[in-house]
Amino acid sequence: MTATTRNGVSPFLDPGPHTKANSLAILQLSRDNLLPVYLKPLTGEHDGYAEGAVVNTRYGSFPHSTMLNVPWGSQIRASKVDTGSRGRKRKREDGDDAFREATGASEKDNEDLATAVTGDSAAAVKQAVADTSGFIHVLPPTPELWTTSLPHRTQVVYTPDYSYILHRIRARPGSVLIEAGAGSGSFTHAAVRAVYNGYPAEGERKGKVFSFEFHEQRYHKMKQELSDHGLDELVQLTHRDVYNGGFAVDGKSPEADAVFLDLPAPWEALPHLSRRRPASSHVNGSATGNEQTDWVSPLNPNKSVYLCTFSPCIEQVTRTVSAMRRLGWVDIDMVEIANRKLHTSRERVGLNLNFDRGVNNSAHDVEEAITRLAEIEARFREHAAKPRDGDEEMDSADEAAEPAGQNSAATNGGTPAEATSGTAPWMEGRLITRGEPEIKTHTSYLVFAVLPREWTEEDEAAAAVKFPVGKEQKVIGAMDRAARKQERREQLQQQQQGASSRKARRKERDEKMAEVSG
Amino acid sequence: MHSVVRPNAWVALKLPSGSTKVIQIAPNTTISLGKYGSFPSNLIIGRPYHLTFELQDKLPNETFSRLRVVPADELYAEVFAEEAGPGCATPDAAGANDTVISTTDGEEFSLVDDKGNVVARSNREVLDENARQTLTQDEIEELKREGTNAGKDVIAKLLLSHTALDQKTSFSLAKYKLLKTKKYIRRFQVLPIDVENLAHWQLEERDASKIMDMRAEMIGLVGCWGNVHYGGDEVFLPDPKTSSAEGAGACVPVDRDVLKGRWLAVDDTCGLLVAAMAERMGILYEGENTESEVKAEEHKGMATEQAPARSEIPEKPQSNTPATESTQKDGDAEMTDAPTKPVKRESDVKPKQLNPRPSDFATPYSQTNTITVIHATSQPNLSLLNYWGFDITAPNHPPHPLLNHLLTLSWLQLLKPELDTAYSTPPPTATPETLASWKPSRRGNFHRKRRRYARIRHIVDSTRTGNFSGLVCASTMDPISILRHTLPLLAGGAPVAIYSPSVESLAALADCFSVPRRTAWVSGAAPEIEGMSNEELERWPGNERFPLNPTLLQGVSIQTSRARRWQVLPGRTHPLMTERGGADGYVFTAWKAIPAEGKVAAKGKFKRRKVESEAATPAAA
Ligand SMILES: C[S@@+](CC[C@H](N)C(=O)[O-])C[C@H]1O[C@@H](n2cnc3c(N)ncnc32)[C@H](O)[C@@H]1O
Repeated sequence: MTATTRNGVSPFLDPGPHTKANSLAILQLSRDNLLPVYLKPLTGEHDGYAEGAVVNTRYGSFPHSTMLNVPWGSQIRASKVDTGSRGRKRKREDGDDAFREATGASEKDNEDLATAVTGDSAAAVKQAVADTSGFIHVLPPTPELWTTSLPHRTQVVYTPDYSYILHRIRARPGSVLIEAGAGSGSFTHAAVRAVYNGYPAEGERKGKVFSFEFHEQRYHKMKQELSDHGLDELVQLTHRDVYNGGFAVDGKSPEADAVFLDLPAPWEALPHLSRRRPASSHVNGSATGNEQTDWVSPLNPNKSVYLCTFSPCIEQVTRTVSAMRRLGWVDIDMVEIANRKLHTSRERVGLNLNFDRGVNNSAHDVEEAITRLAEIEARFREHAAKPRDGDEEMDSADEAAEPAGQNSAATNGGTPAEATSGTAPWMEGRLITRGEPEIKTHTSYLVFAVLPREWTEEDEAAAAVKFPVGKEQKVIGAMDRAARKQERREQLQQQQQGASSRKARRKERDEKMAEVSG
Repeated sequence: MHSVVRPNAWVALKLPSGSTKVIQIAPNTTISLGKYGSFPSNLIIGRPYHLTFELQDKLPNETFSRLRVVPADELYAEVFAEEAGPGCATPDAAGANDTVISTTDGEEFSLVDDKGNVVARSNREVLDENARQTLTQDEIEELKREGTNAGKDVIAKLLLSHTALDQKTSFSLAKYKLLKTKKYIRRFQVLPIDVENLAHWQLEERDASKIMDMRAEMIGLVGCWGNVHYGGDEVFLPDPKTSSAEGAGACVPVDRDVLKGRWLAVDDTCGLLVAAMAERMGILYEGENTESEVKAEEHKGMATEQAPARSEIPEKPQSNTPATESTQKDGDAEMTDAPTKPVKRESDVKPKQLNPRPSDFATPYSQTNTITVIHATSQPNLSLLNYWGFDITAPNHPPHPLLNHLLTLSWLQLLKPELDTAYSTPPPTATPETLASWKPSRRGNFHRKRRRYARIRHIVDSTRTGNFSGLVCASTMDPISILRHTLPLLAGGAPVAIYSPSVESLAALADCFSVPRRTAWVSGAAPEIEGMSNEELERWPGNERFPLNPTLLQGVSIQTSRARRWQVLPGRTHPLMTERGGADGYVFTAWKAIPAEGKVAAKGKFKRRKVESEAATPAAA
């Protein structure tokens, strides 16, 4: 896997007008089936394919060459690939593993194995030939697409949660955000997009994510991903147990404006997120004991800091909230996000409709039901009028009903075209929405809190000098009766002035009109 | 966001009742919280946000209340006591919950007689104990309901029974007044006006319909699915340095290659959507850059005069823009209307380095990191932006990042610019000699007209160039018609995110891209498109059977989100009993696709269905 050399900006932040070699692209196979692929440059025969690297899916085969340097969003036709030198097709598992290694594809995508093994031969690249059917779309990477297609190493935070969290913790261009643990990097990608306001020049403070992960393998995977995505200058990943080690990086404070904790025990990390060295009773273990002399707060000393913790269990929430209160966090607010996807479809109900899948061949309304029932009754009476053995009455009633039903379906067989003539089949029936067959009912509890900036007596004294009191003239805000009367009086005066300023405005507008037409 | 309250900033004051007052903090004024008391504005200017202040009793020689910062420990004293107390979080306490009656958290009540003497004070234990003995089941139910106003009389009765007053006198409730305890009512918190706080206030306390009921969940979703983010450092087109004798031909042509990181928006939320986008792009807050902010604060005086904007010629005196909001009804919140003036900026008191004045045809807009708003009326309604010091109607605006990053044009200007007077009227020209002979006011008018022409021309031409990075909508207009005209303007792979308070219009939109419809389309069910180029197909106006070209969007999806809020207290953690109802809100998402030339058939499982619909479509060729 070749790392994306940062020529310019991460494809997540500015993908450019079209796909590029060695850069991440997201292949959309079907609506919910996404495949991340690092597109290989054209170098020659690849893993037995004359066309170079190829992505094989159930929608056809797609040589990378057909997806390179095309506008983002392009529909790509499947190709007839030449497996000539490749011989017998490799076993599925083989290709699957190879692909996952190469691109880190999600495990759930095992049906759509792709082959993209490195190892180039000198042979000239064969021009891909379009297949008769099959296509996919190639999309630029975004945190949303990455979240649904990334290789899961842990539970991840999905878009409904992170979109709300980032909004609430005020992650904005220029913010510095602390995140722990990094996990699979789902939240990280969304966070870096939120805080991004350009790549920093040497020593410059720009929007940045300080991410922490204590699981060594995950740390390394993530490190690689960040550099492949051109994000390593914007995300500083540190391999550390934050319960014991806290959040300073190289002894320096990240000066964070916002914090997101997706850890099993947020209350163990919280004492490190203080403005002053935490009392030792708050801090886990004795590890901090020897560091006490050079403790630095990881928070921005000049601003309110916004925090969100993400915990699946209510017991975690209780402990976290209790710790927050004792550490001086305010505006503590706990919510849970319920997200639902809705599918739209056409609900087609009617006796006279065809037997397509999804069509309900029962009565469309009471009138249709009555018509049908009356028909059956009429037939039955007709039938009964013929002399018969009394014993068989019951059976014959059934018999009579049965063919009648078939009959009408048969006779109506010809009518759908007629009944719906003018209505295209995709416009028939009532448009409905319904939920997905399975919904996520619980992800985690989100606890939000704010830690105001420290405000010392000296600060207050300085502010009092700068903004002295005693020169108040007007009253604003809600008022008692006396003040309201005074306000009325002033308003009246203003209204008189207002009338004249309205006149001025009208005059201005007229002038503008004259200007435009003149 | 700024670290401290700046003079003339708009802030939200959170009152003990839970309600919010949005107010502009002018220096040297008295801020009145009505019955809660009043204090000088200078006591919160220069102080940090999120602190909780308490109004103190007036000193004998002073006419106003001073403020005290309430430490967090004091805010939580009650909870800490509960946590420390016996039975906390034990099954016992939980079991007792049935009969426990508590007032809304943080509220205490006291009963005062007609002379204002406190007769009794509520605390939890009193309420709990007495409740079982003195109250009927109905009354208990009433008390348990959230929002203690309903239970006011009941609480009063409880307090009276506690002090056994009812036995002493034939009491009438009217004789006593129930007040929230002083200690609590005199606290307030200062919150910054950012998109989250403003939207919350609009939704919960003002007019939710004004922002189309857009909840925080929805703001987050459209922002993310629209991929709205910082779109690159600003880039300006070179100044053509035109002379006054040159006409339209001297305008700088649009350079497609430098246009980058631009989002299209359709906003019927009075500017909330645009504000949310601007916040995500780093162009909502004036001078918030940390370092310069600290410096600016140092230089800040108390003067409130408005500095002339940029280096434009001084024009007529600044007129107040018309009030955009309906007049207030409730007397308790007079000052909470949207500001009607651009905020005056103290930082501009410091004389600015005067740059050489740009020529008339210089393009004032950045080519990157911009929002382009298409509006249905001749002027866009973005009145909520006033809270961030940006007034779209102000002719002569003090510095603000939105000034050169927000472009607005009407649908007419976009689709039929030749019918728009401003766009189609050529700019005036005059030789330098003629110009010199004019009176200054006439010269000013001349230059203003030329600058205006160049601006509109750039907005229209660059928008029509297309290649936008995304489309975000919250509009009362039919989304199908919006997409018909905006899809061709999107770059390939660009996301579309459309908010709607209700699902129906979005469902109808999604239906335009249904699998059966797409399949019919590619198998030739629209004979009139036969032989059209991709370019023509992108701009195809649609017909009844295919309102939109169904191949132009990919990954169409609709979702809804709802945050459920919980109370977290020792032994009493549960979801809130009631929350705001109304519209849930839905978001439509998709990506702009670039269909391959010619017919492209699906493979695999779709094949069968395709054949079917071909058979069912006699028109199929
Ligand atoms: C649920 S995952 C985070 C997922 C991540 N938010 C995402 O969206 O992909 C939790 C991560 O925290 C890490 N972790 C747990 N305790 C930690 C600690 N004390 N310090 C650092 N990381 C820790 C775990 O290794 C795990 O990878």
